Amino acid sequence: MSSKEILSWIMNQFNDTVELTYKPLELDNKKITVLYIKSLIDQELFQKYILQPFFEIDSEEKLQVYLMALPQFQEVPSKEEGLLYVMEGNVLVEIQENLYAIDFKLSKNSDVNSTSVETTIHGSELALSDNLMTNINIIRSFYHEPSLTIEYFLKGEVNKPKVAVIYDQEKVKTTALEMIKEKLKEIDKQVITESPQFSNFLNQKRFSLFPQMLLTERPDRIVYNLAGGKIVLLVDGSPQCMMAPVVFFDFMTTMEDNYHTFVISNYLKLLRYLGIFVCLLLPGIYIGAASFSPEVFRTEFMLTIAGSRMGVPFTSFVEVLFMLFFMELLLEASIRLPKAISATAATVGGLILGTAVTEAALASSIMVIIVSAVAISTFVIPVNEMAFAIRIVRLLLIVVASIFGLAGLTLGFLCLVMYLVNQTSFGEPFLRVYNYRKENKKSEGEA
Amino acid sequence: MSRFYYYLILINMIANIISAVPTILLYYREDGAVSALIVGAMLGLVIVVIYTKFFNAFPGMTFPELLVKTMPKWFYYPLLCFMAIMWFVAGASTLITYTFLLIRYLTPDIPIMLIGLTLIASIIFGCFMKTDRVLYTIEIIFLINFPIIIFIIIKAYTSKSLDWDFIKAAMLHVVEMPNMNVITACIFLSLGVVNLVIFNRFFTQKQNFGLKQIIVVAFSSIATIFTTYFIPMGFHGLKSIDELVYPWVATSDSMRMKFFLIERLVYVFLLLNLSMAFLSILIHWHVAVELFKFVFRLEKIKYKDIPIGYLIIILFFTAASLFLIVTLTEYQLFQYSKYFFNLTAVNFVTMIFLLFYIARRMKGAKDSKN
Repeated sequence: MSSKEILSWIMNQFNDTVELTYKPLELDNKKITVLYIKSLIDQELFQKYILQPFFEIDSEEKLQVYLMALPQFQEVPSKEEGLLYVMEGNVLVEIQENLYAIDFKLSKNSDVNSTSVETTIHGSELALSDNLMTNINIIRSFYHEPSLTIEYFLKGEVNKPKVAVIYDQEKVKTTALEMIKEKLKEIDKQVITESPQFSNFLNQKRFSLFPQMLLTERPDRIVYNLAGGKIVLLVDGSPQCMMAPVVFFDFMTTMEDNYHTFVISNYLKLLRYLGIFVCLLLPGIYIGAASFSPEVFRTEFMLTIAGSRMGVPFTSFVEVLFMLFFMELLLEASIRLPKAISATAATVGGLILGTAVTEAALASSIMVIIVSAVAISTFVIPVNEMAFAIRIVRLLLIVVASIFGLAGLTLGFLCLVMYLVNQTSFGEPFLRVYNYRKENKKSEGEA
Repeated sequence: MSRFYYYLILINMIANIISAVPTILLYYREDGAVSALIVGAMLGLVIVVIYTKFFNAFPGMTFPELLVKTMPKWFYYPLLCFMAIMWFVAGASTLITYTFLLIRYLTPDIPIMLIGLTLIASIIFGCFMKTDRVLYTIEIIFLINFPIIIFIIIKAYTSKSLDWDFIKAAMLHVVEMPNMNVITACIFLSLGVVNLVIFNRFFTQKQNFGLKQIIVVAFSSIATIFTTYFIPMGFHGLKSIDELVYPWVATSDSMRMKFFLIERLVYVFLLLNLSMAFLSILIHWHVAVELFKFVFRLEKIKYKDIPIGYLIIILFFTAASLFLIVTLTEYQLFQYSKYFFNLTAVNFVTMIFLLFYIARRMKGAKDSKN
């Protein structure tokens, strides 16, 4: 197919729009044709690097050599590629029966954000930007290894965002990489706008409760995990990236763990694990103790609970669900509301509801303490997706505890462990105790 | 030795503390229990060493696979079927004991069927996990519970109510002829190693099993057996101890945590042992399921693409154990456990000859190949 035909084919594709600019330029013995979408390209660059030289360079051959020397220069292998290039903000230049694409993409969203989801006290405040190339630039400039490999895919039927798969060739877990590429081939049908949504498409189980991929906005976390053999997926236009394969413990670490001293970071880790136990088990323990086996706890303590439950018309199960329901509502509300109002919501919900509900004897005062302890300890979990999953599991445990008491709660927890162990994230077991020291000379296999 | 190997042995020992084993040991306290403990511990250790060495020689191979290579069909199908039933019963006996315990101590107002069903439902699906996943589950749950185990042991040995004079008096019975039932119960305590018949699949590399490892196993088995027998003795004395149905629960109820949220240690003990019983049943039933899978080729039984083979096993396990839970009384359970322990001991001791035979055949096969 000659370059003329490609150009006319591309123009045919844009028949109904006026966006596309087609300009044949002719001066003396020089003749070039340019084709671009006006809103996508940087017009100053276009002016400076194409138009100006066109008028200054005297022969067509020299002009072609000049164009080929430009850093933004790309060959156009086929008409489909040409179409994509135009839509990505390239200028197609036809010269001497050859067709080239010169990248003049204008990007207004390449500013680097500051962290908003994973904030830390120590460590960098730098987050990814909305622009894929900027993100790759950030990663490349923090990870200096020649083995860092980046592959690009175009996914999605309608909007075709660019997806970059990044990994360290020497450290990557090859089975996981193959699985991810396999799955990437299969997704084609959807509109893809954000990384989290993309991760749902990659995860083919319909009812998976726990996240199969780790989302992050921190470049230092990306670099850390790249070095650990993980595969990073970036979607153009999304300030968050996905990482796989993940294990449960990835969701319980923050980057800050590496920035503190040994004692402090271990203390914080301990705190976090205690937090996850509290927010999972505390409501269940309350139900089990108040309704099934009050003799388990020491007498004074149980008397206090019984005393504070005096006059509460519900069973402990209803009481817990009632309070947790309002807490979850409050959580959702404060996420969705504009910042100016969300403070009011927290005050109204937390302070007023909390005291009023005990005064009206709709819940015991101990229940209010438990609900707030549970809410706070949920926030201790560093990765949000895990916190969401834990919130759901907590409800299940409450139901089990209300049928079968403390023994049921224990069994439910054991089942949760069993479920987690049985999960896989791209071929890696989701939950197991790793012995990093002995990882290389392992004395047992997988069966 | 891989750490997962020790879990298999340790879980079996700890879980048996709540089964009928201590009751049997203490029942014969004046008829040669103490000397039998020593003999039982020794025999148990011998079995552990032989079985470990045997399976270590064939890394990554399960017992059925070895049988296929060395034995005729008419021999190994009935044997494996028998073994599968045995493992099912071993799991079921723990299950029944724990159901009785729960209804007696923790949840007396819940119907026994529901308790049994909840326990079964929470375990049965885990049995179909892959072998490595079963081991990971065991490791995580064991690690979570490990501090509590240590705490209870320290609490027991340092308790003021523990009277060492009772223990010394009990020890005086060492001169009597060892009692057969006690020996078999002791052997059953250290039979966790036999789970290797399936779990050996996981140990794909040759393990290092030398004197050091044997000492570790010996120490843990002697310590467990000593604790199982003498701690209840020290708390309750020689005379009145046979009035207790569950000597260890009663013993843990004799301990108090003065300043803690939970005052009576018995509830900590019960919940701890719930998880240990859970793991023990999980291990036993996983082996049983795998053996049944091998014998009946369950994955091939299909009805309209639904693998009903697994469904049959689930239904069989559930129905059989529920039936046992409803029909058995605690006394019967005690009696039958005794017979079951005798059976297992005899079975696994005689199986040692089979192991030697297989090892020879395998060696011959290897030599002829080269």
